[in-house]
Amino acid sequence: MRLKTEFMGLSLKNPILVAAGPWSRTPEMILKSLDAGASAVVTETIAMEVRQNVRPWLYYKNGGYENTRLYSDHALEQWIQFIKQIKKSGGPVIASVMAHSPSEMAYISKSVCKAGADAIELGVSIPHGESIAVMGSNPEYLYNSIKRVTQTVDIPIMVKFSPHVTNIPEIAKIVEDAGASAISAIDTVRSILGVDLENRRPLLQTYGGLSGPPIKPIGLATVASIAQSVEVDVCGIGGIETYEDVLEYMMLGASAVQVGSGILSQGVGVIDEILKDLEKWLSGKNLLINDVVGSAIKSLKPMDDIEILPYKAMLSGACAAEMCTRCIEGCIASAISVENGYVRIDPEKCIGCGLCVSKCKSGCIELSWRL
Amino acid sequence: MKPLNIRDVAKKAGVSVATVSRVLNHPDQVTEKTRNHILEVMKEMSYTPNWFARGLNLNKTGLIALMIPNIVNPIYTEIAKGVEEIAHSKGYSTFLCNTEDSEKKESDYIEMLIHRKVDGLIFIGGHLGQEMMKRIERDQLPSVMIGSIQGEWNFSQVYSDFFEGARKATLHLIENGIIKVAHITGDLDFIENQEKLKGYKAAMENAGLKIKDKWIISGDDTIEGGYLAAKRLIRAQNSPDAIFIANDWMAFGAMDAIKTEGLNIPRDIAIVGFDNNRMSALVDPKLTTVNLPAYKMGLTACRLLFDEIESDLEEKTSIYLPVTLKIRQSCGLSNGIKTIFGE
Repeated sequence: MRLKTEFMGLSLKNPILVAAGPWSRTPEMILKSLDAGASAVVTETIAMEVRQNVRPWLYYKNGGYENTRLYSDHALEQWIQFIKQIKKSGGPVIASVMAHSPSEMAYISKSVCKAGADAIELGVSIPHGESIAVMGSNPEYLYNSIKRVTQTVDIPIMVKFSPHVTNIPEIAKIVEDAGASAISAIDTVRSILGVDLENRRPLLQTYGGLSGPPIKPIGLATVASIAQSVEVDVCGIGGIETYEDVLEYMMLGASAVQVGSGILSQGVGVIDEILKDLEKWLSGKNLLINDVVGSAIKSLKPMDDIEILPYKAMLSGACAAEMCTRCIEGCIASAISVENGYVRIDPEKCIGCGLCVSKCKSGCIELSWRL
Repeated sequence: MKPLNIRDVAKKAGVSVATVSRVLNHPDQVTEKTRNHILEVMKEMSYTPNWFARGLNLNKTGLIALMIPNIVNPIYTEIAKGVEEIAHSKGYSTFLCNTEDSEKKESDYIEMLIHRKVDGLIFIGGHLGQEMMKRIERDQLPSVMIGSIQGEWNFSQVYSDFFEGARKATLHLIENGIIKVAHITGDLDFIENQEKLKGYKAAMENAGLKIKDKWIISGDDTIEGGYLAAKRLIRAQNSPDAIFIANDWMAFGAMDAIKTEGLNIPRDIAIVGFDNNRMSALVDPKLTTVNLPAYKMGLTACRLLFDEIESDLEEKTSIYLPVTLKIRQSCGLSNGIKTIFGE
């Protein structure tokens, strides 16, 4: 009960949605996510034209997934049947739609709406296989597309954002003015996951879209920027694999989140796990999920408002250097050394950056200042 | 032996004639179990419905028509592929009418389609006479127009932008430092080729470049025409450094001509085509061209047609599908990220 929420006018049993992606490519897979506890599922992206996907199209490295797949390989007619089938089983379904002109966007939206979709997510940020500048970075095109869709259908419209847009507040305002009910962020980030050194070629044959934990900090900043700029609901996406990730996005202003590559890491069971942990955390604090939404935003400050205090790194106890020397290696001020086998910090040299505090595994360094 | 009919199927399956009829005509109204049972019985008995009788019954013939001006032009093949795919998925057959821009063939086909009571028609705007279009409107035959034309017509339509494509193609050459850009046109009787010519001129004029009359030359929409036009351009005094060619077919001819003159593409003459014909990625050098989403236009037009056939809505829909520049090698500017992402 603590998890019940309202998102873009939809009553949801919890704030965990499943993102558009290859894990949502058939009704069976979507129903599996719903059974696992997701409050709604976004379909794989539906387009007017099915394009063949190159193989391989998915690569995993350093916790991140690079994807070069282009949209769903099922035709619009097939998706209309799929959506009907999912609705028959009672599941809330959000259709992900991609097109190249406002009239095309409106047409596909109308078709999925007639089939019974509960809402639509417009894909305007695909980082690969389309243009260099993502479609969503063209304000006029973006406004016209969304406006055309909101005039055509009467279900909530969510617009999927990308970090490939420099002026996020301006673009978010356009989305709001065009009548959208929510913004989801972030779409995958244009990437090359690595280079095969022996053969001197990228790991996948073209640019791809990166997802997974490596993009979470970019997602958090984007979500906070949107939440600080507009009134519409925000849906957090990017590297969500635990309840803590969910809370971070929500505290920064998201009222719901989407899990995507978490499913690639752990299967749909990750949803149930997140929900249980979330419920437990909230009941421990006697909070409802809506209590946390936006609660960390007020602590985001302008540089000028941050108090400048004479912090220095200090050891809270004796630390034997033979265990680890991460703090020493990383110290840009050369303030940390080893004396008689123990770590020593020179307060004269320390410039208070705080890096050693976050690098220390055993938590024995703290930043403080003495009167 | 008397051919099997729907009554025989109903008897064998132990259901009413109405139920069998629903399986054939509105399968979504029958439970999956019953539907499968009846389909199984039909298969066992080798029963096939009498489509003619079925058409009379439902006032539908299960047939749509696609009227194109030139079956040899790959653009129309792509459009036909899109149309056929959707029609087939709806259980319809597609009747192909190749008019070769002959008024006689157009009028013969239109009469035939109306008499045979096809359920809908897709035609190419600008390639069907106005009288014929009025006839279709009068007869209230559900129809979708591909392309856009002047005048007030009450058809759903799918269109792209030939002017913009030609402007982009020409501009691409200009932006990379080429001043002397020629244009081999298609048949200027048709609006799409007039638009391409306008787009070429607009790009040149906006860049403050001179357009020489002798640099605009017709290639007749054929490979041979493209070959001859290119030869004339090369052999003239003050020959161009680049040619924007109104379709890929003519561009293939022009490439052949340039090579036989001992010149190099793109070093001596750069080429940009139009259409993104499937062959354009296979010729040497690979052809830089304007992608006209012909297959998608076919898919979209057919979807709009079925929207009309399947409902009584009077509302017409217009869908615009943009052109994009497909940068390969023949323009001489193939290195770099633009070959992956376009402009």
